Amino acid sequence: MTLLPWKRADRESGTQTSAFEEQALPLLSSLYNIAFWLTRNSADAEDLVQETMLKALRGFSSFETGTNFKAWIFRILRNTYLTSRSGLAARRTVALEDELHETGEFGPAQYPEAAIDHQTPEVNLIRMGDRLALQAAMENLPAPLLEVILLCDVEEMKYKEIATVLNIPIGTVMSRIARARANIRRALTRVFERSTEIKL
Amino acid sequence: MTEHLSYPNLNSLVDGELSADQLAMANTHLSQCPSCTSDALRHSLLKSAIGKAGQRYLPASDFQARLLRRLREDHSQQEASRPDHARPSVPRSPFYGWAAAVALLLVCIGAVLVQHIGSRTAIASAQYAALATEVCDQHIAALAENSPPEVISSDRHTVKPWFQGKLPFSFNLPDNLPAGTTLDGANLTYIHGRPTAQLLYSIGKHRVSVYLQQRSEDVSASRLSTDRSGFHVISFNTGDINGIAVSDVEPARLADLVSIVEHAQK
Repeated sequence: MTLLPWKRADRESGTQTSAFEEQALPLLSSLYNIAFWLTRNSADAEDLVQETMLKALRGFSSFETGTNFKAWIFRILRNTYLTSRSGLAARRTVALEDELHETGEFGPAQYPEAAIDHQTPEVNLIRMGDRLALQAAMENLPAPLLEVILLCDVEEMKYKEIATVLNIPIGTVMSRIARARANIRRALTRVFERSTEIKL
Repeated sequence: MTEHLSYPNLNSLVDGELSADQLAMANTHLSQCPSCTSDALRHSLLKSAIGKAGQRYLPASDFQARLLRRLREDHSQQEASRPDHARPSVPRSPFYGWAAAVALLLVCIGAVLVQHIGSRTAIASAQYAALATEVCDQHIAALAENSPPEVISSDRHTVKPWFQGKLPFSFNLPDNLPAGTTLDGANLTYIHGRPTAQLLYSIGKHRVSVYLQQRSEDVSASRLSTDRSGFHVISFNTGDINGIAVSDVEPARLADLVSIVEHAQK
């Protein structure tokens, strides 16, 4: 016979909430940063993070302790975004996989292996500390490429974790990362060419 | 691996996704192929620049408090709506009311303190991450440039005076370096827009950059270390100097050098 089951339930519930906060709060800045990149404004980013946290707390009992909490909560964020107003709008305006496959997986035409140069435009711009040009290039990425490059380069997630968050195969993660970086290089090249034309 | 590294392989290399065998083959090839080495460094530089540029948005200072309030409200509502016929009624007395009020007050004060400390910790941790990314960037750029340092000398009496009139502070260079460590030279650079001495050392074949800056008040006194894109980063602070070192050498050897440079400032 269990004595005072309601007391035990209260204690378990409180412990669960604090365990959730302990794991979720250190990720708040990261979640907000990604949310802002996806939604492009602070109000929607706050709504997205709040909705994500509420869903995660409600579903925390189903989270398996010892597994990857970060991948789990980022997956909730991403799924919440996809069903949000801004996420639906982004999906309407971007034909995801069609666009990715339109010009091939890795964009070989723009990046012949032989064309290796120390003084490439993106290196020059990065050296010049032109963070704005880089951020503008990232802003212009299609949503599927932006989210994969944020998870890889900003959140420093492994390909396997990214595949879990985005629910796609690792091969697709790799091809999207390659395309995202190729798009950013192309954008930086254009900026660099424009800036040198103006100087001339 | 005799053929050049493919574009997907370069991505996997900078993302740390190559298996041990693939990495060994890639390293063998890189040691013989300057063009692939240059390309790998270019990829690495772009990755770290994207990482830095991507850390762009911080939540409002009160967002965490608002969020916690909302989470706890939601949790209470969930609990209240749960059928709970088993819960017996508890006899109440005035003592319980006062005790509950005092406990609630203490919890509120505690929550405010925890939130304040948590938010300061989060900001400090974001600032440190940005700093680590920036110094890694500069270190990679120095490696990629293949250009000599602005002052080339293994003599500390040549390197230190070179900074006179270039920096608004002075620093000391250690007399004796750990075995296998040499001073290669130095550059004047800028980190977070502030003038900084970049001291270039070699530990064996590994290059090390040690950045010294005038101390800023918002930096904590403790020694911190982290890893960024395969590089080890160790920071230290003395009375007047903030220092941060970055290299791909094994962490213990980097820590030895950092300790000696740190000790020289005292």
